[in-house]
Amino acid sequence: MTRTETELEITHDDRSSHDVILEVRDVDVTFDMERGTSRVLDGVRFDVHRDEMLGIVGESGSGKSMFASALLNAVVDPGQTSGEIIYHPPDGEPVDVLSLSESQLERFRWEEISMVFQGAMSSFNPTMKIREHFEETIRAHGEDIEERMEHGWQLLADLYLDPERVFDSYPHELSGGMKQRTLIALSLILEPKVLVMDEPTAALDLLMQRSIMSLLGNLQEEYDLTIVFITHDLPLVAGLADRLAVMYAFEFVEYGPSEQVIRDAAHPYTRALLKSVPSVDASLEDMHPIEGESPDPVDAPSGCSYHPRCPLATVECTQADPDYHEFSEERGAACFHWEQSGDEIEYALGVDPDEFPESTAAFESEEETVVSLDDVDVHFEQTGLIDELFGKESVVRAVNDVSIELRENEVVALVGESGCGKTTLGKTVIGLQEPTAGSVSYRGQDVWEAKAGSGDYEFDDIRRALQIVHQDPGSSLNSSRTVRASLSAPLKRWRPDLGPSDRETVIYNLLKRVGMKPPEDYAARFPHQLSGGEKQRVVLVRALLMSPDLILADEAVSALDVSLRVEMMDLMLDLQEMFDTSYLFISHDFSNARYLTEKSDGRIGIMYLGNLVEIGPAQEIIHDPKHPYTKVLRWATPPLDPDEAKEANATDPPIREIDIPDPTDPPSGCPFQTRCPDAREVCTREVPELQDTEGAARVACFREDDDHEYWASEPVESDTVSLKTESKAD
Amino acid sequence: MSHTNESGFETDEQLTDEQLFGHLAEDDIVSLSRRERFERILDAYFLAPGRVAWDDWRTRIGILVVTLFVFFGTIGPRLVTPPATNQAPNNLQPFDGGVAALWEEGGWIDIGVDHQLSMGPISVPGIDIRYPLGADNYGTPIGRNLIHATPDMLEMVVAGAIVSVGLAAIFGITAGYKGGKTDEFLMYITDIVMTMPGLPLLIVIVAIWSPRQAWLIGVVLAIDAWPGLARALRSQVLTLREESYVEASRTMGLPSRTILARDISPQLMPYILINFANAGRQVVFGSVALYFLGVLPLTTANWGIMMDTAYSEAHALVNLSNFYQIFWPMAAVVVLSFGLILFAQGMDRVFNPRIRARHAKKVGSDEEQIN
Repeated sequence: MTRTETELEITHDDRSSHDVILEVRDVDVTFDMERGTSRVLDGVRFDVHRDEMLGIVGESGSGKSMFASALLNAVVDPGQTSGEIIYHPPDGEPVDVLSLSESQLERFRWEEISMVFQGAMSSFNPTMKIREHFEETIRAHGEDIEERMEHGWQLLADLYLDPERVFDSYPHELSGGMKQRTLIALSLILEPKVLVMDEPTAALDLLMQRSIMSLLGNLQEEYDLTIVFITHDLPLVAGLADRLAVMYAFEFVEYGPSEQVIRDAAHPYTRALLKSVPSVDASLEDMHPIEGESPDPVDAPSGCSYHPRCPLATVECTQADPDYHEFSEERGAACFHWEQSGDEIEYALGVDPDEFPESTAAFESEEETVVSLDDVDVHFEQTGLIDELFGKESVVRAVNDVSIELRENEVVALVGESGCGKTTLGKTVIGLQEPTAGSVSYRGQDVWEAKAGSGDYEFDDIRRALQIVHQDPGSSLNSSRTVRASLSAPLKRWRPDLGPSDRETVIYNLLKRVGMKPPEDYAARFPHQLSGGEKQRVVLVRALLMSPDLILADEAVSALDVSLRVEMMDLMLDLQEMFDTSYLFISHDFSNARYLTEKSDGRIGIMYLGNLVEIGPAQEIIHDPKHPYTKVLRWATPPLDPDEAKEANATDPPIREIDIPDPTDPPSGCPFQTRCPDAREVCTREVPELQDTEGAARVACFREDDDHEYWASEPVESDTVSLKTESKAD
Repeated sequence: MSHTNESGFETDEQLTDEQLFGHLAEDDIVSLSRRERFERILDAYFLAPGRVAWDDWRTRIGILVVTLFVFFGTIGPRLVTPPATNQAPNNLQPFDGGVAALWEEGGWIDIGVDHQLSMGPISVPGIDIRYPLGADNYGTPIGRNLIHATPDMLEMVVAGAIVSVGLAAIFGITAGYKGGKTDEFLMYITDIVMTMPGLPLLIVIVAIWSPRQAWLIGVVLAIDAWPGLARALRSQVLTLREESYVEASRTMGLPSRTILARDISPQLMPYILINFANAGRQVVFGSVALYFLGVLPLTTANWGIMMDTAYSEAHALVNLSNFYQIFWPMAAVVVLSFGLILFAQGMDRVFNPRIRARHAKKVGSDEEQIN
């Protein structure tokens, strides 16, 4: 079907219905660089409506953070901002933010518009208590301290924090999620009209992200806020934002009410992005990466900036920059071919979660076990000399009594919140971290005995067989060595029989194989001349050249652009077949773990506070989670489909507390009992073991055992968290 | 190309050649001639760094200055007559006769067919230069004195800098990378040396042994200069060893020395180099100061001794007409240390892969990626 204009004009509102609070007119931000002028915002024209939640979505390097800085006239030197940003206060004259003086700006920021950045960790002065941060801010703006602190108290309570405790804490005493919420409260203390948030949740866990998003919805209604929420994570905002704006190459390519944009995106980029985002509900066959790479701000392509990657591009696109085609008052897309995009690039939102093939009841694999962990504990002592004098002891139980077996050619994903010990467990599996108790064996040989020299196998061979791919592609390659030198190292070490010409052949062929052509050119590059995705491919190839049996992929795709993740994961699976290896994939993101494991019939393990609480075939874990914590994680992974997203927003999280307990002082009994909605008295006493269930998964919960005394035990009474956002009348 | 597996893994073999090479078309096989490899190494390790270094004015000046001093320190003494008292008139002013000496007979320079300048084995006809920098109270030509002091000076600088930076690098990097007991032991020694008072120690050592060889003096001067740098290097290595790529190298089973040489040292080089230059300067200053104070034995020609003489015999700081006697050795010290610093600063760029890539011949495309 070809779209017609009338079809899209269903929700045509009149102009007056939207009160504009920020008018952005032809804003450019440029940086003079050695190799030319870098234009990081390119003639942006946009309106922010009063009391809306606007989601701005874009990949890294698309200019979305610059847009946020420009809104507050806070572009850092030597950046030059030009154009007009008109702010309309509720009462009074409009002001041009870009022409305010330094002292006017100081008042303007925080009192009219305030901003929350990504790095909550570094936004607080570590030597000051939270209370002083609040007081200092209030004093700097000459407001009444008592009245404002009262307000701050209320804000903290609204954000599910204990105001008394938080005020009297130093920043390091709060967890990441608590700090981020405190920062939000601090930014709202002077009752600004607009809150600009730049990736405020990117450093947090899914559950915390989701909770904060829901809380934001509540705050917005309570305090009549306009929220501009900037993120790379489309599903995160999709369900909550009133409107969505998609940024690509330093300008907005499409904007509109979020449901319309998601359901029927008009710009080819938006459609491709929707297709490339790994999510929990879309079908695997439907996920495709976007070919090519984002443009360079110094040398952006002429005409439409998306044309080099766009399947619909014509000569027209290469010559003229398309203007917004306005379907309606509030919906527009900058594309010449908006009519065809719907037919050319198809995507589907969500599949029915009930339609999944029954997994074989007993999950038994014929393959040989590569690495097995037996009752492994990893504890870190944090006791310093002074603590010892005072008899204080604090032990972090990073991994607690975990047993797991990894078979040949298998993909296992470990999912959990940050600090749950998944990375430590991963490093224990590949023999980088010595367990404090229990044993790690490689093909039946205890790894640490072999290291001590008392095993049957050479430790060198074990070392070679267990490899790692790190999270941050930026730091996993030596910046002063070329790709050729980095890739030669494993070959030189393990294949001394290969001559330089052979090495060259191998490296060139592998580079070609992972799509880095021409290989002669790439081999001679230094890491800084590669993009993030290319670096990660080199790292993967380097690990594979060791001929490993198992690769620990520690958040291997998390640092990549959303549009590249699927591509990278496909490549991993492709190379797995070629090299006969297994992956232990660590992720905090359910959607990535799901993509990788479901495609390879792998398993997903869920970790919580150092314990493995559930493990089983990917499909079963995703579609039929059994452990209460898995259910929570599942709740925290937002679906893309607008209807389902709305539904998910309307349900309360199946959890009693937002914050994870202190890992140095874990709860007694079941680790999850403090937050579990189904906790009963017995859970506070006894620790559940992993046990078989009706499905193929193994779950550490008493509820799986029908005869357990759990059922006779008294429920632990307390309230569940309510993050429900009222469904808004649009 | 068979690979024998001695450890006896049955299920786990090295990558087969099939896996490594795949099915290759004939033109996919790369053959590298010896010459190509040599050229590549030459470009990566010598030409590209050289181009980077020469591209920066600081390095260029630094290299010029250092080369000049090396020239004076090696060839200089062979060309210039050794200084002696009464070779020149007492208290001869520098550039005697001024600009007029250029065309008048006499003075510091004479030009004409009947003149000729003989420098050791070489003689240059048509020009004659006489004691351009003047002479001291005893008629010793200052220029000759300066040049004949240079070899010892350079020996001292190089020996001192190598010893202090070398010790610091060995102690700091090993302690940082190895950690544990090794770290504790090495830092224990470092801390002891650090707490020893430098100057009194030097005076005692010099008084006991009274070293006469220049390199030995350099080593003695550097003996307490390394602990600070060792501490600093250790702390840098502590952060570097946690970097993902170092962990990856460890996971690949590369030996520690390879990791230290390939992964860790290059990141430290700018810091080590600037400290090398600094240590050299310290040795120059230290030796000059000790000679000036008369702590070191007065053996051969030395800039410090020249300054001492100028100060105590010619009262160069009071009697300004004799100021030139102290000015020239001071100028030598200042220019040398300035040259060393510029050189070290410029070399900083050589270890920056971004800049090196721009100058390497065979590096693919020049554009940097924006992430």
